[in-house]
Amino acid sequence: MGALMAIIYGGLALMPIFVGGTDHLMHILIMILIWGVVASCWDLIMGFAGIFSFGQVAFFVIGAYASAIVANKFGIPPIFAIFVAGGITAAIGVLVGLPCLRLKGAYVALVTFAVHMILEPFLKGPMGRAIGTGGSRGILTIQPIEIFGFAFTPDHKVAVFYLTLVLAILCSIIILMVIRSFWGTAFLALKDSEDFSASLGVSAFKYKLAVFALTSFLTGMVGGFYGHYVGMLSTRMLGIDLFVTLMIMLVIGGIGHFPGAILGAIVTVTLNEMLSPLGSYRPLILGGLVVVLVLFLPDGVIGLVRRFFNGKSKIQEADA
Amino acid sequence: MKKLVSLILTITVAGMLAIPAIAAETIKVGVPLAMTGAYTDTGDNYWKGIKIAIDEINASGGLLGKQLEAVRFDTQEFAPERVMQGADYLCGNVKVDSVHAGWAGWGQDVRAYGKYTAPFFADDGSQSAVDVFDQDPVKYSNIFQLTDTDVNQASSMFRVLLALPYEYPNKKVVIINADDAWGTGVGDTLEEKFKAEGWKVALHEEVPYGTREWGPILTRIRKIKPAIIHLEIVSAQEVITFFRQFMEAPTKSILSYGYSIVPREVVQTMGKEADGIIGEVPTAMPTPTAPTPEAQAWVDNFAKIWKHQPQAGSWAAYSGVMAWAAAVKAVGDEKDHAAVCKYISTNGYKGETGWWKWDKSNVMRAGGDVPIGHYQVQNGELVTIFTDPPAKPYMNFKFQVPRWCK
Amino acid sequence: MLIEYVDVFISGMTNGSVYALMAVGLTLVYGVSKAFNFAYGSFFSLGGYLAWILLALVGIWGGYISVFLVALPLLMVFGYVTEKLIVAPLRKRSDWEIKVMMLTLGLALFMDNLFQVVFGSRMKSLPPIVDGVLEVGDLVVSYQDVVIFILSISGILAFRWFLNNTRIGMAVRAVAQNPEGARIVGIPKDRIFAATFGISTVMVGLGGVLLAQKYFVSPSGGWDILVKSWVITAFGGMGSIRGGLYAAFILGMLEAFVGYWFGMTWVLFALFGVLLATLAVRPQGLLGKWG
Repeated sequence: MGALMAIIYGGLALMPIFVGGTDHLMHILIMILIWGVVASCWDLIMGFAGIFSFGQVAFFVIGAYASAIVANKFGIPPIFAIFVAGGITAAIGVLVGLPCLRLKGAYVALVTFAVHMILEPFLKGPMGRAIGTGGSRGILTIQPIEIFGFAFTPDHKVAVFYLTLVLAILCSIIILMVIRSFWGTAFLALKDSEDFSASLGVSAFKYKLAVFALTSFLTGMVGGFYGHYVGMLSTRMLGIDLFVTLMIMLVIGGIGHFPGAILGAIVTVTLNEMLSPLGSYRPLILGGLVVVLVLFLPDGVIGLVRRFFNGKSKIQEADA
Repeated sequence: MKKLVSLILTITVAGMLAIPAIAAETIKVGVPLAMTGAYTDTGDNYWKGIKIAIDEINASGGLLGKQLEAVRFDTQEFAPERVMQGADYLCGNVKVDSVHAGWAGWGQDVRAYGKYTAPFFADDGSQSAVDVFDQDPVKYSNIFQLTDTDVNQASSMFRVLLALPYEYPNKKVVIINADDAWGTGVGDTLEEKFKAEGWKVALHEEVPYGTREWGPILTRIRKIKPAIIHLEIVSAQEVITFFRQFMEAPTKSILSYGYSIVPREVVQTMGKEADGIIGEVPTAMPTPTAPTPEAQAWVDNFAKIWKHQPQAGSWAAYSGVMAWAAAVKAVGDEKDHAAVCKYISTNGYKGETGWWKWDKSNVMRAGGDVPIGHYQVQNGELVTIFTDPPAKPYMNFKFQVPRWCK
Repeated sequence: MLIEYVDVFISGMTNGSVYALMAVGLTLVYGVSKAFNFAYGSFFSLGGYLAWILLALVGIWGGYISVFLVALPLLMVFGYVTEKLIVAPLRKRSDWEIKVMMLTLGLALFMDNLFQVVFGSRMKSLPPIVDGVLEVGDLVVSYQDVVIFILSISGILAFRWFLNNTRIGMAVRAVAQNPEGARIVGIPKDRIFAATFGISTVMVGLGGVLLAQKYFVSPSGGWDILVKSWVITAFGGMGSIRGGLYAAFILGMLEAFVGYWFGMTWVLFALFGVLLATLAVRPQGLLGKWG
């Protein structure tokens, strides 16, 4: 796991050597890193903890708005604001998690998706305007992150890229640690048999809430980072497009096979760009791809990679 | 493992770099429009106008002897990073010499394209875009708006509503608008104007897109019996269902649809059933008779090429390309973006109906030769009854009292 | 005053009847096979487009009666085959519930964009089943709403009759109540899963035809339906048909009255608020059991 992650991030770290001069490609690389973290967090929730959370995009947007508002209103430097935003998102995550983690599969999906659905009217409406979301206009001025007087604006894409890379690696290490820790084992046990684990004293609820809080924190923080990088925000991120794109990253990367989600982000973003000139055929192909991949590539690209290198991997055995 | 991962990465990079090789002797024109998602229709309207302009210029020997080449970019649903990516791709990477958009990001686009120098034409009609522009008019001097703002368009709707040759039975108005930037901009302006004129805004509701069951609102409307109902949701399903449910038991109210009259389906689906509804289109080509022979020829040509009447935005986008081309011709160098922009903002452009002039915020303010058109559905087609500013009847076309008001 | 409440009440009943028809199909599939169908909204649009093809393109003889006769069997086959081809193979896998959700979400994206490519992004309209309005004193109800109400309720009643009185219906109930037991007595489980999927497609497709003539058809018009059906089934208890019925009418009323008193923007908040409150007290929904 760790080795593959190092290879992926190592490879990405070298990319600016080849495309550093092309802003548009650097932007795509930055977005790959950002979506990679968001998708990994989602993978941690769904693939490892077995919670059908559909609120991932919502938490991302909450973090983005929270950070921008905190920085704009209270003058907190963006580099700290993103952590505050992470905290706020985690708090909301816990609020959502408390009632819904006792529910079953499709119910959890619905309640978390409800957060997504309600977020847009909330941000646009009078309540949102009161806290400074700018209503349906959005927030069009967000200051960039500054470290030692250097502003990480979209004009300095290579610098932003490396800052994003540091952030992404940090998040990924945290995720990796969680998976390798006692938590990870607990989740595997829970997935196998919740009743049996409970009888052994593994409290499903406690661990699920903790992982929900953690991923919300990371997602919110990355969301905040996104806002300060792009410099503007609107509710247009809450369309179905981004939601589905993130899900495709998971499917391509392989659910529950970290760091597959990061690979998924690389492949999906690239594919999305290459298909973009095709107009309506792009989502058509993506949708068809999801169906085919879920059916024929159950462990995603990562399963393929593992199968390629060690003939009979654990995954295959588990699947049989 | 290393091998495969690096292979994947190489393929990835190769894929991203596989941008068509740049052929010599062409001028590249960027066209970022919604090609997928909720805004596909409007994106299509703009593209049809832009395509005609480019084809015309190429057919007549090109611009400064070079052929134009459109580079399209799908802005999808205008997420901030998507808008930014469009700018980075078209201006930063492909290095286009002008950008022709339609709905482009309601202010987000000004930020994204303002970083570059290529002239950029948008049709947002949004005050928030102008607000961003005014923060730094020098930096954003390459940003041009093809239509007047929501605030001014709403003011125009208000003037025409009061100028109609019709005796209002009372001074009560109901305003219903969508919860997006455009809808709230128009709704709030109208509320302000009506109040200042001594009218009572008996009901002002914001509704989400997708509202198709109007029973509860209509129940309230039937109790209020307003003289005017203004509906501002630029989406066919919402406004048609509203009309049909309203007509089950209509009140004697003038139905003003504002810009929501533009989705072609409104007239196409309802035909004569829609007779009586009024609406507005900015930078409009008045119909059924265009104001000048040149304008009429343009309309006929459009209909011949695309097999239907031009829709809102097509002509504005067409004119944006032509205004830019005229400026390039005058300057003599498409690469001198600053000079081209300066030429456009100082000299304007002479189009089919007359002069287009941009103000100090680079907004094509309504009026003069390019006024806002106000329409009524008559005999199943959109008929221009007024132009504004100044509010005056258009040619011989007359406002007709809707059948449910008699 | 009273007359207005009656007016809003009627609006709520109309909403409720359509929601009931939609939600019953979704809850059936979940109750029987624990699969959640994300493409449910696209199946709704499919019904609408089928009706449009038959009426506007083919110009079928006999109007809506022929549409129902032709479209409903087609939808049944479509649902059955879809289950067999792409949902059934997943059943044996680990994490199959998540995978079914993802797969059907992909299918939804595929279908919606296929509609867009084939039919264009602009909406399609159908002729109304009936014209005119029913006037009782100050009350005005369109015949269209009356027909939607009657057909939706008949659809649900027919479905109940089918479940209680036919061999397949009883087998469906058996599988839902005790899959293991059903297998032992020799009920072909896989075929029952596919059949329920087909039936649910018919229910939502019928809804699609009924609503298409009032609300029109557009490529992504099904999302709204999916979310509403989802809320209703969760509120009523996933897998509970009676719960779904109650939930549909309660939420239909809630929608109408919240819209009337507070405005349309608050409808969504109210729906989810009531849902959350209910789930906090009763995690299994109103009647979270098969019945």
